[in-house]
Amino acid sequence: MHRVQRRLLVPAAVAASIALALTGCGASNFGGDSGGDGASEEGPIKIGAVLDITGVGANLGVPEQNTLNMLAEQLNADGGIDGREVELIIKDNQSTEDGAAKATTQLIENDDVDLIIGSSRTGPSLAMRPLVEAAQVPTISVAANAAIVDGSEWVFKTAQNDLVVLERILDDAESKGYTKVALVRDATGFGEGIADIITELGEERGITLTATESFEPSATDFTAQMTNIRGADADAVIIWGITPSAGLAQAAYVQLGVGKPVYQSHGVANDAFFEAAGPAADGVIAPMGRLLVADQLADDDPQKEVIDQFIADYSAEFGSSPSSFAGHAFDAWLVGTQAIEAAGTEPEGLRDAIEATTDLVGISGIFTMTPDNHSGLTADALIMALAEGGRWTLYEE
Amino acid sequence: MTDFLQLTVAGLSQGSVYALLAVGLIATYTVRHVVNIAQGDYATLAGLGSISLVTAGLPLPVAILIALVSVTLASVLIERLVIARVKNLTTLVSIILTLGVSTLLQAIMLLIWGAEGRRLPAFPGNDLTLGGVSIRSQELWMLGALVVVGGGVLLFYEKTRWGKALRASAEQPVAARIVGISPAVASVIAFAIAGFVGATAGVVSSPIYLSIWSGGLLLGLKGFVAAVLGGLVSFRAAIVGALLLGIIESYVAGYVASGWKDAVAFFILIIVLIIRPAGLVLRPNAVRV
Repeated sequence: MHRVQRRLLVPAAVAASIALALTGCGASNFGGDSGGDGASEEGPIKIGAVLDITGVGANLGVPEQNTLNMLAEQLNADGGIDGREVELIIKDNQSTEDGAAKATTQLIENDDVDLIIGSSRTGPSLAMRPLVEAAQVPTISVAANAAIVDGSEWVFKTAQNDLVVLERILDDAESKGYTKVALVRDATGFGEGIADIITELGEERGITLTATESFEPSATDFTAQMTNIRGADADAVIIWGITPSAGLAQAAYVQLGVGKPVYQSHGVANDAFFEAAGPAADGVIAPMGRLLVADQLADDDPQKEVIDQFIADYSAEFGSSPSSFAGHAFDAWLVGTQAIEAAGTEPEGLRDAIEATTDLVGISGIFTMTPDNHSGLTADALIMALAEGGRWTLYEE
Repeated sequence: MTDFLQLTVAGLSQGSVYALLAVGLIATYTVRHVVNIAQGDYATLAGLGSISLVTAGLPLPVAILIALVSVTLASVLIERLVIARVKNLTTLVSIILTLGVSTLLQAIMLLIWGAEGRRLPAFPGNDLTLGGVSIRSQELWMLGALVVVGGGVLLFYEKTRWGKALRASAEQPVAARIVGISPAVASVIAFAIAGFVGATAGVVSSPIYLSIWSGGLLLGLKGFVAAVLGGLVSFRAAIVGALLLGIIESYVAGYVASGWKDAVAFFILIIVLIIRPAGLVLRPNAVRV
């Protein structure tokens, strides 16, 4: 027994010292290049990404990862930016806030990245915000909640704001004469504050929020929430979440026979929604970008060319069509790389260049950023889509 | 009242999954004193496997059968390659070992099936509504699976000579060997049973709860809580405990807050371990080794 321990002791000590040396090396990199001394203006451009690749956000993070890998490959095949190769470092935050914070710290301290993309969901994105603000690294989130960029200096985002999504939903509800809505929302960051926004926006439209239920994105059984919603006094129900949970919630909703019209958010703008909800998806109305109804767009739609090209590239590479989340990643890459092309990788210059983004045609919409608007999309970026026969179709209001 | 019954139905069907996993855990614990952390992963493995087979074009019953057999064999393989290799196997060592196995299985599933949850097509049957309470046919399948498979294992262990021999090999290994019961064979049979019931839980629940690579650990822990309610030895008490756990979770989600749902099981676990370590077993000393 003693001998065994001693035999293990030496390799263990070696391993420990190597580990210490490695982390020590990493730490000594901190601040080396990011002080704007110009050293990072040469060599490869480093773009980091923190995505929800495993865990509850996998339906979002996986297509985003695919998209970024594909775009980085394409860009480098075309010679990179200004002759500089683009090095893409993707990290999985496992759909957790602390995972996102850890990954962000690694990207900043060890990898010394010039730009960060991520996270896929609101919660992890909010966890990244104070870190990138402190380190002054331009960051583009691909999540939705407006709180991610509210008053931020270094953080941008490409997904449509929850505010404009709710505006579209409530406009539609008003046009149909609904006066009471109930809400079933994601219990994490994405669903945070949604009830308040509905109450506020509903006031001017004569719509009141009569009941609110919430669910964890990891939940599999929604009987409790939907039973309560069944007893609520409402003309329509808003289910606000991401797939697969929002899809499972939809299935439970129909199965329990609540029977009122359902609005969902742009968090279900993918085919995974139909996998989770099954036939229960039929009849759901959701505001989303144009990507999923690309084949139904008018030929003169300004986004059509960009969207069609992206769908063709993505399908050829991965054998399936891209989701809206893949589109958010495409947009983040587009906004980021265009700005690097214009201004290089010096942090403040890069940030100003992103803020100067004007009429940039992307997948989720046409982006115009300003120092005060780090989201860049208006309500025009959304169309209303109707779930019909296992796919999204353009819905004429 | 309708709401109350609706929540009860949801709780019972969720509880039936916990019950099957608890049966699997007890099957290995009574024979080997192994707490198998990978028990829940058997469920996800069978779920994901059958989904792939259905996608490949096999009829649902065939796909399920192949998945059940494969996971049963996988469980036996784990016993032969990992558990049987350890000379002085204590319960603590078994937890550490099977935690490793669980992590490995999850990594393999993540590599093969990816990070996204998938769904097995629902089993045949029509959903029904009784007095305003809607019941999915799949929920009846889940409860039926518990009755047939869980009940079958219970009868096997308690009523048949083979089952009694299995328990004997754990309680009196030397005596059992003297009367001709091989501990190795007993262990293999116990793991085969654990694999089979775990896989059953996975395929019957996949159409409602989806199968996802990382789902096994939490499921297995819930099953473990139920097994603790059965004092880790009593199938009956564990099954009752599992159904109760499912129902309580459902009430908490419905009447308190859904965020508390997952905390219930572990709250119960702590209470039971402090106040009544023998669980719901009525005569603890008679069965506990």
